[in-house]
Amino acid sequence: MRPLLGLFLFSSLLYGEFEYKGYVGVDTQAYLTKPAGKHPGNLTLQQQLELKYIEGDFEAAMNIYAQEDSYDLSDEKNERTFIRLDELYGKYYFENDMLFCGRNIRFWGALEVNNIVDTFNTKDFRTDGLDPQKQGAWNASYTHYFENSELSVIAKFYEEKQEMAAYPYVYYFFPEKFGPLDVSYNPNRKSSESLYRPTLYLSYSGSTESDYPIDYAVIVQHGFDSQRAFDSVVDLASLSTEFVEEVYLVNKLMTYNTMVVGSTLLKVEALATDVIDDNVSSSGKTVADYYQFGLGIEHTLTSLVGDSDLGLLSEYYYYNTFDQSNKIATDLNLFQVFQNDLFVGFRYTFNDASDSSIIAGAIIDMDYQEQSYSFKYETRLFDVLSVKADYAYINPSKDTLTAYHLMGLNPSDGTVSAHQRVGLNLSYYF
Amino acid sequence: MKRLLLSMAMVANVWAISNYDLAKKSDAVMSGYGDAKAEMVMTLINANGQERQRTMKSMVLEKKGGDKSLMEFLTPADVKGTKFLSYEHADKDDDQWLYLPALKRVKRIASKNKSGSFMGSEFSYEDLSAFNIEKYNYSGDAQEVTVNGKKYYKSERIPNSKNSGYTKQVAWTTTDTFLTMKVDYYDRKKELLKTSTLSDYKKISGVWRIGKIEMLNHQNDKKTILVWKNETIKNGLSDKDFNKRVLKR
Repeated sequence: MRPLLGLFLFSSLLYGEFEYKGYVGVDTQAYLTKPAGKHPGNLTLQQQLELKYIEGDFEAAMNIYAQEDSYDLSDEKNERTFIRLDELYGKYYFENDMLFCGRNIRFWGALEVNNIVDTFNTKDFRTDGLDPQKQGAWNASYTHYFENSELSVIAKFYEEKQEMAAYPYVYYFFPEKFGPLDVSYNPNRKSSESLYRPTLYLSYSGSTESDYPIDYAVIVQHGFDSQRAFDSVVDLASLSTEFVEEVYLVNKLMTYNTMVVGSTLLKVEALATDVIDDNVSSSGKTVADYYQFGLGIEHTLTSLVGDSDLGLLSEYYYYNTFDQSNKIATDLNLFQVFQNDLFVGFRYTFNDASDSSIIAGAIIDMDYQEQSYSFKYETRLFDVLSVKADYAYINPSKDTLTAYHLMGLNPSDGTVSAHQRVGLNLSYYF
Repeated sequence: MKRLLLSMAMVANVWAISNYDLAKKSDAVMSGYGDAKAEMVMTLINANGQERQRTMKSMVLEKKGGDKSLMEFLTPADVKGTKFLSYEHADKDDDQWLYLPALKRVKRIASKNKSGSFMGSEFSYEDLSAFNIEKYNYSGDAQEVTVNGKKYYKSERIPNSKNSGYTKQVAWTTTDTFLTMKVDYYDRKKELLKTSTLSDYKKISGVWRIGKIEMLNHQNDKKTILVWKNETIKNGLSDKDFNKRVLKR
């Protein structure tokens, strides 16, 4: 019976179509300005492999990412070496419906730099700290398609860790010491509920057919929040403090929309969160209800020089809490980096055979006098080798404990270093 | 003698065809395919003769108000799986979306730019959109010309859209089959910018389909050759096959 079953499975696979793609790359950064004690650079080998099997209306896929940091081969380990399963799923398309089950990555959002509503997957801070990757989430969904819209019910089955590299990686957001205390980060989540409690989403999205067409989406969520509260537990016996993530339950309403007006895209992302968990912190405080929004504009000037295009971008992000009494209410405790920030930048597309482009911009934090500037050039060599070069400069807040302030803190003298880096990524795609 | 000249002129006038009627006839012989599926190979050749190849899968749905099309990029490998969905409109800007597989993102794009280069090639987005009579202004009659012993109609059309990259297009169309064999494109400065040479026409299920276009840019000496392979028409595709949902499939 077993050989027959095997033969059946093998022969059914032959009817379908296999696809594969991926890359092998080297990612390197040199940190020109950094806090004392942190690594002066990183050299990381990266690999990604995606396999897809399609037979009629059935599709299955697997996506694996792995990286190896050179420091993890030495005594100065920074915990940036891992293999991660991002996708492993099956989905089946009916006439007007689709069933999905497995692990995957979803994208929600309209903005370019920071997607407020892109909350489905947790981030992996073992990857590049200035552009962390998302990691897959186990879930099942049912989608019904209408003529110009779709309705999805999604159940996420497990609340993932927010993985973090270790000190002395430059983007490890905690200092080695805080005063006399050794500082450590524990990625295991604290919660009053089982982490296997499903988080439910109801999503409705579509497009209008008008002179100024709009792509819209509304999502209602009940379950664990993507925002984490960081609780610190001090152990005076060992003179250490450990940061632990609090995971709590919420009801959330989210929306993201894009409107086309000629050569201009107008974008809005917004959410309102009702925290329904009690007593999540060791301090006895509850995370405050909060709201966030982002507004964006993208205008493209075409055929500027030859075939090149220039996209002018500006985005504004705002975060605030509702009731603040007896609440963990500050954006600093909650690591909300974009709480009153303005981004201005541009994307210059050469429209050449190598798809070369330059993306540059500045993010100004208007509350904490923090600025970050970035410049990235991308091109392709010999059709298979992707080349990305970048430069970034971050001037952290001098007197407020923001993430960048903590990242740049020199434990010996309490000064805060600016951050400056150059990076190069070479990836062979197949 | 005067009478003879007058009658000759009358005969010539009877046989003359207006630029508009010629465009209608030319459109008619290429219409009626319902929908089409094909593999496309695009060869980019720079001024030094170096070649780069791009491959795509394409699907088109013929619609009265404007075609719907879906293109999936297969190579270069770093853009494999990127999809481009477009709903053309004769009377307003097209609706366009791009699917970026690395981000799992469907991104709305502004389509006002019709003259931008498609994938770094010498084709612009408007060159690749389906020919639609209503997108142009016509006046006067087509000229009958002989090139290498073959007769063609030479006709002019002016793009209606102020966002077009062209001020004029001059087309050479066969007098028997009404198939376009060559088009000269004049830029916004009214100078000759590009010439496309169309060939390898095939009749599939009674409808003429183009097999190859060579686009030569006279101003930078670059050339792009676009070849359609394994094309099938009347596959029974419908609007559902061009819904936004197909981008994530």
